[in-house]
This record gives sequence, structure tokens and C-alpha cells, in this order.
Amino acid sequence: MLQLIREIRKNRELIWALALKELHVRYKRSALGFLWALLNPLLMMIILTMVFSTVMRVPVHNYPIFLISTLLPWTFFSQSLAYSVESIVSNGDLLKKVYVAKSVFPIAAVISNLINFLLSMIPLVLLLVVFRFPFHRTWFYLLVPFVSLLLFTLGCGFFFAMVNVFFRDMSHILQIVLQAWFYFSPVIYSLDFVPARYRPLFRLNPLAYPLNGFRLAIYYGQLPTWQSMVMSLACGFGALIIGYKLFQRSQDNLVFYV
Amino acid sequence: MSDFDKVRRIERICFQDVVQRFRLIQERPDTLREAFAHLFRKQTSYHDFEALKGISFIIREGEAVAIVGRNGSGKSTILKIIAGVYRPTAGQVRISGQVGALIELGAGFHPDLTGRENIVLNGLLLGLSRREIHAREQKILDFAELGDFIDSPVKQYSSGMFMRLGFAVATEIDPDILLIDEILAVGDETFQRKCAERIEDFRRRGKTIVFVSHNLGAVRQICHRALMIDGGLLFADGPVDEVVSDYEQRMQGRFEQRPHASAVPSA
Repeated sequence: MLQLIREIRKNRELIWALALKELHVRYKRSALGFLWALLNPLLMMIILTMVFSTVMRVPVHNYPIFLISTLLPWTFFSQSLAYSVESIVSNGDLLKKVYVAKSVFPIAAVISNLINFLLSMIPLVLLLVVFRFPFHRTWFYLLVPFVSLLLFTLGCGFFFAMVNVFFRDMSHILQIVLQAWFYFSPVIYSLDFVPARYRPLFRLNPLAYPLNGFRLAIYYGQLPTWQSMVMSLACGFGALIIGYKLFQRSQDNLVFYV
Repeated sequence: MSDFDKVRRIERICFQDVVQRFRLIQERPDTLREAFAHLFRKQTSYHDFEALKGISFIIREGEAVAIVGRNGSGKSTILKIIAGVYRPTAGQVRISGQVGALIELGAGFHPDLTGRENIVLNGLLLGLSRREIHAREQKILDFAELGDFIDSPVKQYSSGMFMRLGFAVATEIDPDILLIDEILAVGDETFQRKCAERIEDFRRRGKTIVFVSHNLGAVRQICHRALMIDGGLLFADGPVDEVVSDYEQRMQGRFEQRPHASAVPSA
């Protein structure tokens, strides 16, 4: 863990430059450029709202806000993983020629999506204004789910980036895993919708805690139980420690397989 | 270099019984399906290949050392270990000072970024800080001579422009140890002359140079000492003229041993 902090400190300029490059390249050739970071979650929200609120008539007030409060963090998570999983493999040529701390690539992939995530808070705020939805004081609490989610994402990012070097199937498997994870997580619904006897099963999902934290703070204006906060942070730190350890253990071998 | 000098000068590169083993895999299980297939067949279809079989040498500050040897003898592996790309399987490697590699120019360039943006990104990848890069930016621009192209994406560059920029960034970081792998073979004459001048400048300033090349003329010109590698073993280490002529004789010998087609008696 200390090692990771040291690596990030030492390479902070490189990580930042790589993250910005990622965004730069992603938006450079599109007419709307950075606006896509704002438009994307809005369009996604409109589609999902049409399906679940209008067609399936989910009995939730202000469903768009209910949805977007977890859709944004989810999108951050899934996009980060989609980028991380390829981050080492796609920089393979470079790694074979110069020495670079390998951890910078998954970190930069997560950071670039983090910037996107923070930008996407703008449409969220606009939406709240348009819907005349109150800004709860619990917004201040958002820091806890935010940090938990960031740590959890980084840990997963390290893991998938490393495994994909040895098994290229991982990037394909990840797509399916993410899709299943999306429906298994409280994004389009909340845990209250789940029949009581299945709920323990859904609590096994480490993402459920930070996602629930986001929704409680933004939509319900409530604080989660302290157990839920602890679980949320514990899952984040746990994932990061395990993911980074595994990554570190094989990082000297990565260059032979990329 | 006198013995007295040798004691005083800092050891820049120290290899001690360095072994580099690669796992050569005939059918590497690239995908899970293959991995499962291998699991069930329970056969290992790889063998270990030793690119370096225990190599020891010391290179001190201010030395310009060539590594000569046939293709596949392990020259590039040595450079990659010095650069920190490979971690050796066994043995000790000590490097002191910053290493700069002219191994593949522009390795970290991103085609969609402009020359200027790539200077920054590449500099960061090579271990400089943003401030250090900005301090060197003008010199890099001067050397690369790209004119207005500096603000165009590098994918629009000619291969010569690409090379010039890559060379400028790699040498402007002003490393203590400069690794050169067959670099002078690229570019036009002006560029080659500029490269040669710059390398000469490195040498005069007492930097350490490790040079891998098949161009024995360039080797003789740049280096004063040479290592001969064959099959992952160190065969000779000494003044460049001796080692290179020894190497030339060996190569000659190899060719003479091979029977000419016309010399093979036909049935």
C-alpha cells in the first residue's frame, strides 16, 4: 500500500499526462468533443427512464434522479475497467523498450474516467435544478462512497489489467461480467425491490455499498447505517490491496507476455 | 585508460553472473480455451531458452563500450537489462546513474498527439519532470528541425522527422549512460552526421556509452573497448581493435566452414 502511494507520488506527472492523453485522444476527432462526457450519461438516463419508468412503470418518484444517482458512479466503474483491462497490453510495445513503472497505466485509465465522472456531475446538478429537486445536506457525505468506489475500481483495474496480459480472453469475459454485474447491482432498482429472502445474496456484491451510498445521499437525503459505511470502505481498501498485490507480484513478468 | 583511472572512476554498470532465461513457448495458451486444453492434456509445450548464460563485466564512467556478436547472441538482451526493461533471472546487476536508450526512437510517441505534446509525454515516460522537459524543449526543437510541423500530429510526419524528434528527446534528457542500438543506420546523411556529432559530444563530456552495432567501422570510431558475445557467453573483453579483429576472424571462419554449394560433390 505504501509502495503504491510512493509509486503514484513519483509518477504523478506521468499519470496525469497519460490520463489527459486518453481523454484528448478519445474526444479529439469528435465535433462535440468534451461535451460527450456530459451528454452520454444524460442520453443513457433518458433511454433507461423510458424503459423502466414509462414502459415498465417502476413505482418510483422522480425516477430519472433515482437512476442517475447510481448510473453515474456505475458508468465510472465499468468504463474504468474497460480501459484498464487493455491498458498494459496496448502499451506493450512501449514496455518492451523503456522502463516505466507498470502501475501507471491502469491508474491513468482510472483517472481519465474519474475526470469524466466529475464532469458528469454537471448534468446531474442541472437535472436536479430542472426537476426542482432539493439538494440534501447529505451531499457532504458523498465523500465516503466516492472514496470507496475509487479504491475498489483501482483494485479491480490492477487485477484485470494484469490478468489480461496472460489471458487475452479476459477483455471479452469482462464485457459479460460487467453486464451481469450491472443487473446484479442496485443501479436501475434499489435493494428494497429485491424480495427479502434474496437480499442477503445481493449484499455480497461489494459495489452495492458505495452505489447505495450515492443514492441515499443524492436521492433520499439520508445517511446509510454506519455498518454500511464501514463495509463500503472495507471493500474498497480490500480490493485495492488484493488487486495491487497481485499486480505487483507479476509485474516483472508482464514484459515477457505483452 | 590507466589502472589508476580505473580505480577512481565510478562503476556505472556492473553485471555479475547475469543469467536471462526466457520461456519459449511453442503454443502459448493465449486464451482460456487453450489453457484448459493444456490443463487436460497435461503437457508442457515450452522450453527454457537462456539468452545470457552468466555474464560479468563492469563499465565505468566515461567508457564507450561496444557489444559485438552475431544476431541472437544476446546483445540486445544486455541493453534491455541495463535499461531496466528485463529483470534478470539470476545474477546481480547494479546501475548507477540515469539511463537513456536510443533503442527504438519514438517508442512512446502517440500518433494523434502533436510533436510538442509528444515531447512532454515522452520526456515523462523517460523519467523527466515536467519542469525539466520545459527547460529542454527549445533545444529539442532546435535539434529536430521540424518547423511548423511541431504542432501537427506526429502521424503526419515523415519517417525522418519522426526519427529526428525521437533522437532529440532521447539525447536531450542528457543521461549518464547512453544505450545505442543500431541507430546510425537510419536517416539521411545530415541526420547521421548530427547523431554522430552528438554521440561524440557525449563521449567528450565523459558520459558512459554502450553501443550495439553490426557496423564495425562505427564501432571502431565511437568505442575504445568492446565485448564480444556469442551464445549468451562473454568471449572477449578488451580494446576495441583487438576484439573487433578477433570477431571478424571468427565470422570469417564461420563462413569458411560452411561448404559452398559448388564444393558439395554431386552424386
